[in-house]
Amino acid sequence: MSDQTLSFAGARASGMLRRLDPSMALWIVMIALLIFLVASPTVRLVVASFQEPETGRLTLANYHTAYVNWRHLAALGNSLELGVGVAILAGLFGVPIAWAISRTDMPLKGFVRVMVLGAFITPPYLGAIGWILLAGPNSGWLNRLWVAATGEAHGVFNVYSMPGLILVVAVTSFPYIFVFTNSALDLVSSEMEDAAQVLGAGKLRTAFRITLPMVFPAILGGLIISFLEAISLFGAPALIALPARFNVVATQLWQFFEYPVQVEVAAAYAIPLLVITVLMFWLQRRILGRKGYAAVTGKGGERRMIALGGWRWVMLGYALFVCALSVLLPLSVLLQAAFAKAWGRGFSLDNLTLGNFHYLLFEQTQAQSTIINTFVYAGATAFLAIALSLAIAYVVSRQLVPWSNVLAFLCVAPFVIPGIVLAIGFYAAYAPPPLALYGTGTILVLAFTTRFLPIAYTSSAASMRSINPEMEEAVRILGGGRLLAIRRVLAPLLKKSLAGAWILVFIPAARELSSAIFLVGPNSRVISVMLFDLSEEGNFEVLAALGTILLVVTLIIAAIGFRIIGRDFMLRRSV
Amino acid sequence: MTRIFAATRRDVLAGGSAALAVGLGATLAPRAARADMTPHEKELYEAARKEGELTWYTTHSDDVTAQALGRKFEQLYPGIKCNVVRTTAQVAFQRVAQELKAGAMQVDVFSSTDIGHYVYLKDKKLLEKYVPESSTKVLDIYKGYDPDGYYFVTSAGLIGMSCNTAKVKLADAPTNWTGLIDAKWKDQIALGHPAFSGYVGTWVVTLRKLYGWDFFEKLAKNNPRVGRSINDTVTLLNSGESTIAGTAANNSTVESLRKGNPLAMIYPTDGTVLILAPSGIMKGVRHPNAARLHMEFLMSVDASKIWVEHFNESMRAEVTPSGGFKSAKDVKTIRPTVEEISKGIPEVIKQWREVFGV
Amino acid sequence: MTKLVLRGVERRFGSTLAVAGLDLDIRPGEFVSLLGPSGCGKTTTLRMIAGFIDPTAGTIEMDGKVLSSPAGSLPPERRDMSMIFQSYAIWPNMTVEQNVAFGLELRRISADEVRRRVREMLEVVHMGHLAGRYPAELSGGQQQRVALARAIVIKPSVLLLDEPLSNLDANLREEMRFEIKRLHDEFRITTVYVTHDQAEAMVTSDRIAVMNQGRIEQVDDPHTLYTRPRTRFVAGFIGRSNFIDGTCNGAEIAFDAFAVARAAIVDGAALAGKVTFSVRPQSMRLARTPGPPAGNRPQVEVRIVERAYLGEFWDYVVVPAAGRTRLRVTTPPLEVYQKGETAWLQLDPEQMTPITDGATVTTPPG
Repeated sequence: MSDQTLSFAGARASGMLRRLDPSMALWIVMIALLIFLVASPTVRLVVASFQEPETGRLTLANYHTAYVNWRHLAALGNSLELGVGVAILAGLFGVPIAWAISRTDMPLKGFVRVMVLGAFITPPYLGAIGWILLAGPNSGWLNRLWVAATGEAHGVFNVYSMPGLILVVAVTSFPYIFVFTNSALDLVSSEMEDAAQVLGAGKLRTAFRITLPMVFPAILGGLIISFLEAISLFGAPALIALPARFNVVATQLWQFFEYPVQVEVAAAYAIPLLVITVLMFWLQRRILGRKGYAAVTGKGGERRMIALGGWRWVMLGYALFVCALSVLLPLSVLLQAAFAKAWGRGFSLDNLTLGNFHYLLFEQTQAQSTIINTFVYAGATAFLAIALSLAIAYVVSRQLVPWSNVLAFLCVAPFVIPGIVLAIGFYAAYAPPPLALYGTGTILVLAFTTRFLPIAYTSSAASMRSINPEMEEAVRILGGGRLLAIRRVLAPLLKKSLAGAWILVFIPAARELSSAIFLVGPNSRVISVMLFDLSEEGNFEVLAALGTILLVVTLIIAAIGFRIIGRDFMLRRSV
Repeated sequence: MTRIFAATRRDVLAGGSAALAVGLGATLAPRAARADMTPHEKELYEAARKEGELTWYTTHSDDVTAQALGRKFEQLYPGIKCNVVRTTAQVAFQRVAQELKAGAMQVDVFSSTDIGHYVYLKDKKLLEKYVPESSTKVLDIYKGYDPDGYYFVTSAGLIGMSCNTAKVKLADAPTNWTGLIDAKWKDQIALGHPAFSGYVGTWVVTLRKLYGWDFFEKLAKNNPRVGRSINDTVTLLNSGESTIAGTAANNSTVESLRKGNPLAMIYPTDGTVLILAPSGIMKGVRHPNAARLHMEFLMSVDASKIWVEHFNESMRAEVTPSGGFKSAKDVKTIRPTVEEISKGIPEVIKQWREVFGV
Repeated sequence: MTKLVLRGVERRFGSTLAVAGLDLDIRPGEFVSLLGPSGCGKTTTLRMIAGFIDPTAGTIEMDGKVLSSPAGSLPPERRDMSMIFQSYAIWPNMTVEQNVAFGLELRRISADEVRRRVREMLEVVHMGHLAGRYPAELSGGQQQRVALARAIVIKPSVLLLDEPLSNLDANLREEMRFEIKRLHDEFRITTVYVTHDQAEAMVTSDRIAVMNQGRIEQVDDPHTLYTRPRTRFVAGFIGRSNFIDGTCNGAEIAFDAFAVARAAIVDGAALAGKVTFSVRPQSMRLARTPGPPAGNRPQVEVRIVERAYLGEFWDYVVVPAAGRTRLRVTTPPLEVYQKGETAWLQLDPEQMTPITDGATVTTPPG
């Protein structure tokens, strides 16, 4: 006797066998949303670059205005220089530390890891301000120390320079390289190194000739990301490059948005960033052949720590040096300024005050709503990005529609678009009527979602891969539909990794500046833009206080993340 | 002969207690329509209360002063929230332009330090005509810039120079504008940027008028530190990063001085630049009555008291600057005409970029 | 009377034909195995029966109603079938009891009834004492039992199993093989079982469908499959076999070094021309001396060419003195011959089966 309560009743009702899943409607909505978020602004951007401002006729004049100008070209050159410099320096910071933590017996690994997390949380523009306080040529703390110690007339560190800018960006960018390299190194079996040592290679030579080349794809991936981040940054260059009297692409784009707004020229000027990004990924493919991001194959095997002897203190020293540059130094001066009446007066007790925080939290009419906005938008972004990417990852991995690979590509494509360029695209596409989203929180959340979709997607796709499709099929064969399978089995199994992905989106979204700068209105201001505005009138004390609030809240949330996910949070490469 | 002002402890106390008094006054003020409102004011207030809020883009001062004005407004007219957004002039104008282009006006009252903005906006018929009652009561020097009634001067300030007295003795500092070109100030000068700050824009136009563009080419040779806002120079001097500010706003410099920073204001012999900063209501705003009320407020005695507290000029005869700092009537002032400003600022922005690189 | 019918079922992936024109009738309560090497299309076929994949041609019917066709298919959740997956697919976020109860809860059975049936089922699979455990706390064999319980408790029309024992070690496999058979005997659910292991198929199945490259080569009960293979592939896949060519010559069929009376071969009259025969190593005998002529059983003098001792039997490769064919013979452990020795090989024509895919004589499968 079999339970016939299911099956044929429904089939009878519809009269015919149905090909479509009832969940199809949901997938179609998600796909439409994806196209709306990714394809539309990009297309609009490219189209705008060829249009005349008032009439919309096609023309090449925008490209002419953008490029037949020495200063504009110089800005492009500066961006490239910045990108290369940052990639190299961040690599020099990140790779040795990753190696030391993954392969050797360097002490205080936990502390160094926390510092790297701190560097990841710190927005580049906040780091820039910290470094301005540290290395302003005449007033910076480091220079003052130098003058006091050596008795010379001037300090030696000048943050207002290209090397200064490279340093400032590199110290917040090296965590990417660290995470990629560290995760890849964790998969390398010690037998690889043993084999080399048996043949006579010392520790250093083994590291350079064997270990590091094995994880070259991961290192290359990290370098490329650092490069791309650097060339599209807005905040740090605005704070440092402008006083140093050079422009980069992002600050130049900002100028195109001065009155009168030249969206079309800005679009034309932004296209090379897109081209460069695509080029970098193509180059990466070429170099790595068809391995792409695959690190080492085979089962990891046992991993033993290499005993460095006395050299472990040297490695620790280097690691601490990098930590100092990226976190300890800038944040301590920021804290000092946050609690100071006049930061220039130094660390004296009578300079201490809570007044800056008081001003922000109670007197500045905008600050409260700005703080709330920031975290609400970041939260909304994280939810939207995770929901969308999970849906698409599901559709792709179960191949529910033809050409599902195109969808996967669309999800990762925004990575290619620098934040500031994306904002221009969104501005061109959605700010004016008919949608008229200018100045609303909605356009910010949409732009952020698009910007961070790649992170969310790679995480979701990896999570999907880790779940055997048979789990769902078991539900379906027993009579449950797809949506039930997702609800009762898939979602609970994915809880942990989803939480991790949520935080991975929330943190950068909370501090995002490059794409926010063009899209905020007076009611939708976020902390990053407010920090930027505050830096305009040089009120560093209040600025430092606001930055402290941002960091503290982000840190709390990251700490919660650690709790939920465990040690692996953020130290596992998600790509 | 320049008279230069230096901070004394007495003045610090005076400034501090003034601030305290205002603060106390603010908390004790009644929260109802006041008896001393004119009928017109009352009418406006009733209508504005229904609108409930107002967005004010201002570039006339630093954030602290702007917030103080906003709070005072809310106090005088309870039930109307005042959203204060303070930026530099060109940034504010850019936002206004974006809103116009997008067809979504967020701003109600626009207060810019670049009078050229208003010439442009009026020309394009983007301003609303409204003649506030209080506009007839301001000092003569601030009257009549737009007889048609689309915009009115609501704030004024002085641009001079300043120096960090801990690093440079006042006696050694330059006494007039041309002193800035002296090679001994290489690497020591701080300036704002005309592409951001309306104050600086007007300053550049004035000095170009006085000394020709040549002056700036020579100034560039001294490798000045270029910021954005005119108030950036205060920070740079405070931190000791620069020792001379070539563009120093009287209000922010004195304010910082009163906080205990080692600054001194310099009023050049060849003339301190007087900035007249107007305000206007944009066409088609969402809170028209609140906007009108705000315009009334900006030229009122209450507003002038706050201006003066923060070392700006007073708009009204009833309020005289106390606390012993210089104001427009104490020094020789120079300023360009409205036409010169409106034509000149876009020009000098371009020229500045060529000479200074950004 | 049939329960499940596959008619001309075909499945293409791009240009590859994974399943090519399958026909299969399964009777109610029958246990049918789909047996074949990896890549033969058996899992694809199973998934088409389940409804996870649609056929590109042909139909699948159950109780007379069409379930799958290229025009449209009933989704898996509506087929009233049950499946055991290769990975078991026990949900780690639910207890054993919750796993087993899941299908019943979907059928809107009252909570009390659900609990009763779940407990009953768990007792049947000897898992009653572990009802509250989570899958991570169970061994492979125990997880298997949970999967079985979950699948059977809903009393499906058809039970599908996809290589359920391949993840278990040899001893457990044997144990579970019998478990599955026992449960089938008890509940008599129509079952389709996919495996590449012939021993599994033989032990459990009523009939076995041997598949190769997307086609069914033969469907029969295990005994017939073994004694009367119809193709070279089947003969080689089930057990081991020698393949020898014979030529029909009047009343005889002539082989390399001997001849067999046509009448002695089953269905020998229908044969003509060159025919290949499958001869199982166990169907021949070795003797030191030729015995008395025994009916139709030919005897050939042979020389021992190779030998291997496997504990339970000897594996000899012999070549007729008068021929070149290598033949594999197995004998009980006590019949020991040396390499190079001569002996007499006795064949049993009744156990010689003609097969299609005729080919020249090749070395016997090793």
